Amino acid sequence: MDPAICSASIAAECASSHCRQRCALEVIDELLREEDGVSGEEADLLLDLRWHLRQGNDAEGTLRLFCDLRIRMEQRHYLAFFRLRRWLENHLVATVQLCPAAEPHVTAVKFDRYCVEAIRRVCLCSALGRGSVMIAPRVRFSFQDITIVAPETTRCEAAKPVEACSAA
Amino acid sequence: MSTTTSKPAAAKKDTRVIDGLNLVVADSYALMALTHLAHWNVEGPDFFPLHKAFQEQYENLFEAIDEVAERVRALDAYAIGGLSTFAKVAQMEEFKSPMPQKDYVAALIVAHEKVVDDATRTRDLAGESSDLQTQDLMIKRLQWHQKALWMLKSYLKP
Repeated sequence: MDPAICSASIAAECASSHCRQRCALEVIDELLREEDGVSGEEADLLLDLRWHLRQGNDAEGTLRLFCDLRIRMEQRHYLAFFRLRRWLENHLVATVQLCPAAEPHVTAVKFDRYCVEAIRRVCLCSALGRGSVMIAPRVRFSFQDITIVAPETTRCEAAKPVEACSAA
Repeated sequence: MSTTTSKPAAAKKDTRVIDGLNLVVADSYALMALTHLAHWNVEGPDFFPLHKAFQEQYENLFEAIDEVAERVRALDAYAIGGLSTFAKVAQMEEFKSPMPQKDYVAALIVAHEKVVDDATRTRDLAGESSDLQTQDLMIKRLQWHQKALWMLKSYLKP
């Protein structure tokens, strides 16, 4: 499949190693282009989320913003938030450490819950399933390494900052 | 009386068109399996309309797969087949049931969009090689997928 025209946020090819970061950014840009469906405050938060996704170095902050926006907007923009959710599930991981001396356990992040702490708890529980004893547990979220593929030049103007970013 | 006629114009065998058709076969088969899974596992207050709508969709896909694969044969090529081949070619992620009923609809929309992308490219390639029968078949499939997308997207509207 040509990744340049991938629109499927759940496609198996949507892996961190060869993902178009623009999949998620395009969804946000589409939301921002809606005239009636997005309030001023929501637009501000969407721009913050867009900035976090472009930076790709603050998974915790990204998750908090996404969860906040999801609670506010998901019922009105279910498909857009489904695409964003699937993109994040494919690109975020949680590193669980059951105690300071334990080996970290990397687990997938699932968005079955609407708040960060509930998601963190699910990640922790998945590690506890291995029968370990929990002493001062830690769950850290991080992005998987993202290599952005060569961009398609005919895409919308809003995608251009990412092209510049990947070229740099 | 002559027992032969002038040779009719044979369908042009363009490997790009055949690859495109086989991709649409794989996409459609994968989408049919996903739609069938959604038909079985969907739960919630809208169970009955969704269960029925998904059935109508996978039945349409089943007939379409046969028609597209037979077009590959009509072009004197072979259709691809087998579950692992379809999965590898189509590259569609499977659902992880149970999911909220709206997630089944959203996931099917994403899958339909993939078929639309691939069928559009195949339609255009068929046009380039003057294979109007294949082009017509792809247009017919695109019309159906676009209608399915409209219905699924309408369900997600608040």
